[in-house]
Amino acid sequence: MTEESPGTLRETTPPTDTSTDAESAQVPPPADESGTRAGEGPSRVRPSGLAEAADALATAAGERRTVLFEGAGTALNWGAPVAGTGLVLETSGLDRLISHAPEDWTVGVEAGMPLTRLQELLAPAGQWLPVDPPTGSRGATLGGLLACGDAGPRRLKYGGLADLVIGATLVLADGTVARTGGDVIKNVAGYDLVKLIAGSLGAFGLVARLNLRVHPLPAATTTLAVAVDDADRALSAARAVMRSPLEPVAIEWDGQQLLIRFQGTEESAAARGRLAPEVPGLEDARVLDAEAERAAWERLSGLVRGEDGETVLRAGTHPARLPALTRRLREVTEGTGVEAAVVSGVAQGLHTVVLRGGEASEHAACLTAWREAVHEAGGSVTLRRRRHGVDAAAASWGPAPPAVSVLRSLKRQFDPDDRCAPGRFAPWF
Amino acid sequence: MIDTALRREFEAALGADSVLTDPLQLRTYECDGLTGFREVPALVVLPRSTEEVAAAVSLCAKAGLPFVARGAGTGLSGGAVPVAQGVVISLARMRQVLDFDPDDRRMVLQPGVTNAEISRVAAPHGLYYAPDPSSQVVCTIGGNVAENSGGAHCVKYGFTVHHVTALRVVLPDGSVAELGGDAPESAGPDLRGLFIGSEGTLGIATEITVRLLRTPESVRTLVADFPTVEAAGEAVSGIMASGIVPAAVEMLDALAIEACEAAVNAGYSLDATAALVVELDGMEHECDEQFEKVVALCHEKGTTNVRIADTAEERALIWKGRKAAFAAVGRISPDYFVQDGVVPRTRLSEALSRIAAMSGAEGLRVANVFHAGDGNLHPLVLFDEQAGEAERAEKLAAEIAEMCVELGGSLSGEHGIGLDKACSMPEMFGETDLAVMRQLRAAFDPEGIANPGKVLPTPRLCGEAPGRYRPHPLEAAGVIERL
Ligand SMILES: Cc1cc2nc3c(=O)[nH]c(=O)nc-3n(C[C@H](O)[C@H](O)[C@H](O)COP(=O)(O)OP(=O)(O)OC[C@H]3O[C@@H](n4cnc5c(N)ncnc54)[C@H](O)[C@@H]3O)c2cc1C
Ligand SMILES: Cc1cc2nc3c(=O)[nH]c(=O)nc-3n(C[C@H](O)[C@H](O)[C@H](O)COP(=O)(O)OP(=O)(O)OC[C@H]3O[C@@H](n4cnc5c(N)ncnc54)[C@H](O)[C@@H]3O)c2cc1C
Repeated sequence: MTEESPGTLRETTPPTDTSTDAESAQVPPPADESGTRAGEGPSRVRPSGLAEAADALATAAGERRTVLFEGAGTALNWGAPVAGTGLVLETSGLDRLISHAPEDWTVGVEAGMPLTRLQELLAPAGQWLPVDPPTGSRGATLGGLLACGDAGPRRLKYGGLADLVIGATLVLADGTVARTGGDVIKNVAGYDLVKLIAGSLGAFGLVARLNLRVHPLPAATTTLAVAVDDADRALSAARAVMRSPLEPVAIEWDGQQLLIRFQGTEESAAARGRLAPEVPGLEDARVLDAEAERAAWERLSGLVRGEDGETVLRAGTHPARLPALTRRLREVTEGTGVEAAVVSGVAQGLHTVVLRGGEASEHAACLTAWREAVHEAGGSVTLRRRRHGVDAAAASWGPAPPAVSVLRSLKRQFDPDDRCAPGRFAPWF
Repeated sequence: MIDTALRREFEAALGADSVLTDPLQLRTYECDGLTGFREVPALVVLPRSTEEVAAAVSLCAKAGLPFVARGAGTGLSGGAVPVAQGVVISLARMRQVLDFDPDDRRMVLQPGVTNAEISRVAAPHGLYYAPDPSSQVVCTIGGNVAENSGGAHCVKYGFTVHHVTALRVVLPDGSVAELGGDAPESAGPDLRGLFIGSEGTLGIATEITVRLLRTPESVRTLVADFPTVEAAGEAVSGIMASGIVPAAVEMLDALAIEACEAAVNAGYSLDATAALVVELDGMEHECDEQFEKVVALCHEKGTTNVRIADTAEERALIWKGRKAAFAAVGRISPDYFVQDGVVPRTRLSEALSRIAAMSGAEGLRVANVFHAGDGNLHPLVLFDEQAGEAERAEKLAAEIAEMCVELGGSLSGEHGIGLDKACSMPEMFGETDLAVMRQLRAAFDPEGIANPGKVLPTPRLCGEAPGRYRPHPLEAAGVIERL
C-alpha cells in the first residue's frame, strides 16, 4: 500500500494555538546543572512543521544563539551539562504521523512523536516498533530516544532505535535540511547520517522526521524470573539460555533476580516458558503471570531511569566483564554512604548503575573510580543522571575515545560555531 | 605520480614482496565484479597488518595519492576499481581470525577473511554469522563492511551493520581509530554505523568484530510455483502480512529458473512463470506451526506446485540453485549486468511489469531473481558485447535503477553505489543532501584520497554538472518535502 492508497493511515494534529514565536516564553533552564546563568533564561520555540524548524534554526544561526533540542525533556541531563542555552527548540509540535504502509512494514513520523503514541497508532495494524516502551507517562519522543541512543531490554533481539531507522530528515545547525536513507526496508545508497544523530545527545543537529521499519506485534510474551544474587551465576545462566534453542528476546539481571523474556505465538511463548527450567541455572525459574510480568519489567525500567538525588551511569562492555565490574563497584562504594545498584543486560554487556545515598562528593568519587575500571576493561560510560553537586567534583566523561579526532572534525563540519548543545561532550569536543 | 623513490618507500615499509609494480600483475587488479569499468593502478600493495596498512596509507597521504582498498573484488558496483595513477591496497593477505569467544559470541577478524569462513569457524560451537551474500564463499568481511552487504536472510536478520560491533580502521591520514565497542551501545555518536556502508571512502577497516548468532534449531524450506508473477507477489504479501517473519523469501522468474536449471539442476519447475523460495527458521514447534500456515497461504494464492525440502541436502540444493543464479545466467547469455534496486514491496508487480516493458522496448532480455521479502530487485540484463549491445544494456540497467527510485525505492539494496551508480545519485537525493554527504566525507578525508569518484557524483565522471535536481516522487506526492 502506498502512502496515497485508501486505507493508508494518515493523521495530522489539529492546529494548535501554541505560538512558535522565538521570543514567546521565558522558561526555566532545561537542566538543573545546565550552566544557564540566572536571569538569562533561554527563549523557546515550538515549530509545528519541518519548514518552521528549519526557519527557527536558520534564525538562531543568524543571531548566533546556542540551541538545545527538547523532546519530552526527560533526558536533557545526559552527558555533560550544556554550557548556556540561547534557544530551546521544542519538538512537541513535530508529532505527526506522515505515512504508514503496513504491508511494507514502514512508517514515517515526525521526530517529536512520543513512542507510546506511535505504538498506539501501529497496534490496530498488528504492528509495533520493537523498542520497549518507556513505561512512564512522561512521553519520551522518538527523536529523543534516537539522540540518546537508548533502548530497552529487547535490544537483545531487535537492536536499538537506530537499527530500525531506514531514513530521516535532519535540520543542521545552520538550518540546512538534508535527507538520508529512504523509505524502504533495504537500502544502502549513500552515507547513513542517522548514525551521526544516534547517541549525539543533541550536539549534531535536529532530527525532524524518521522513517522506520516496524515489526509484527508478537502474539504473546512470557517472562521467567529466577532468584540470582551473584553476577557469575547470572552470567552463566544467561549464557546457558543463549545457547539453548529458546531464543530469548530479553535477559536482565538486577542483582537479585534474573528476568528472561520470550515471545512468539501463544503456543510457542508458553512452550518456551515450560522448557526454560531445563536450562542449567534456571531450575528454580518461575513463569510470571501477566500482571507480575508487567510489574517486573516496569520496576526494572524505573530502576534504570533513576530518581532525583541519584546518579545513573550506563556502561557498555564485553558481557564477560560483568562479575569483575560488579566486584569493583562494591569496592568503590565500600566505606561510603553510597549504595550501588546494577541492572545489567547481561547477555549484551549493557550495565546501568544507580548510586543513591551518601554525599555528592562520594557519588563523584565512585563514578570516577568505577568508570576508570570500565575503560580499563575496554568499555565506555555515559553519565545519565547525577545527584546535585556531582558536576563540581567529577568529569562528565571518561577518557576520550580513540576516534575523538573524527568526532571533532564531524562537529567542525556540521556545527562549526558550536551552537548545538555546546559542551555536551566536553572535554572531548 | 609514483616515482622510484616513492616506490622504494613503500617497499621499505611493507617489504619488497608486498609491493607489485609489474604491469602484468597490476592488470589483475584493473576491475572488480563489474567488468565494464577498468583502470590499471600505478601500484598494488599487500599489507599483512594494521600497522602496514597504516604505513601504506600514510605514504599515500604524504604524496597526495588516491588509494582504493580491495577485498576479493567481487563488488558489483565498481567500488574497487582503481583510480588512475593510484594505489590499490589489497587485503588478501590479512586472513586471520584474531580472536573467537564463543561464550560472548564474538569474533575478531582481519578484513580478508571470507564471509563463509566466519560461519565455518563458528559452526562447531553452534554459532554462525548471519549476513549471507550469495558471493559469501569468496567475498571478504572487509568488503561486506564497506558495502553493508546483505543476502537472502536480511529480511529477518538485517545487514552487516546489525552484526558488526566494532571496527579498527585506518583513516585517510594514516592514523588508526577504533569505532564502536564491545557492547551494542558506546558513548557518543555511532561512528561504527557511519563507517559501515561507506564503500571504502572513509578509510580502511583492518579489524572487524562481529557478533554471532545461535544456529537455529529448525529450518524449513519450500519452493512454490506460480502461474503468474502477480500471484507470486500476492503470496509474498500474504506471508509478510500474516505476522510471520520469514528467514528468506526469494523470487525467480521464468528466465531465471531456466538459467538456474541449466547450471545446477536444482529441480525448479521449468514450466512455472514464477517461483518462490521461502524459508523459516527458529524453534522447531514454532517453525512447523508457521510453515504450515505458509504452505496454506501459497495454496490460497494459487500455487501450482509446492516442493518441500525434506532433507538438508535438498535444502542445500534449492539454495544452490538460487545462489548460483547470477553465474548461471552466463549459460544463457554471453554477457549480463546485475542490477540492484529496491522498491516498496507492495509495488513489486508494478516494477516487474515495467521492467518487462522496458526490456521489450530495448530488445534485450531481463531475468529477475530477487529478495522479494524486502523488495530488493536484481534484474539481470542479458546482452551480447560482440553484437554491440553493451551500451544499450548499461542504459537499460541504469533506467531500471532509476525507476526503482521513482516508485519510492532506492538505487541500491546491497551492492552499493560505487562507480556504477554515482551518477544516478541525484535521482534519489537533492543537491543539499549530496552536499551534506560530501561534508561527512570531508570530515574523515579532507584531502579526498580515499576511493575518490565512488558513491558521490563528480562532474568529471558523470560528464555533466552534478545535482540535476528533480523532486523525489514522494516529494511530488506531498509526503516529504525538501527545503
Ligand atoms: C525500556 C525503557 C524504559 C524507559 N522508561 C522511561 C520512562 O518511563 N520515562 C521516561 O521519561 N524515560 C524513560 N526511558 C528513557 C528514555 O529513553 C529517555 O528518557 C528518552 O529517550 C528521552 O526522550 P525525550 O523526548 O524526553 O528527550 P529529551 O530529554 O527531550 O532529550 C534528550 C536528548 O536528546 C536530544 N534531542 C531530543 N530531541 C531531539 C531531536 N529531535 N533531534 C536531535 N536531538 C534531540 C536533546 O537535546 C537531549 O540531548 C526509558 C527508556 C527505555 C529504553
Ligand atoms: C555472484 C555474486 C553474488 C553476489 N551476491 C551478493 C549478495 O547476495 N549480497 C550482497 O550484498 N552482495 C552481493 N554481491 C556483491 C559483493 O560480493 C559484495 O558487495 C561484497 O561485500 C564485496 O566484497 P569484496 O571483498 O569482494 O569487496 P571488493 O569488491 O574488493 O570491494 C568492494 C568495496 O569495498 C571496499 N573495501 C574492500 N575491503 C575494504 C576494507 N577492508 N575497508 C574498507 N573498504 C574496503 C572497496 O574499496 C570497494 O569499494 C555479489 C557479488 C557477486 C559477484
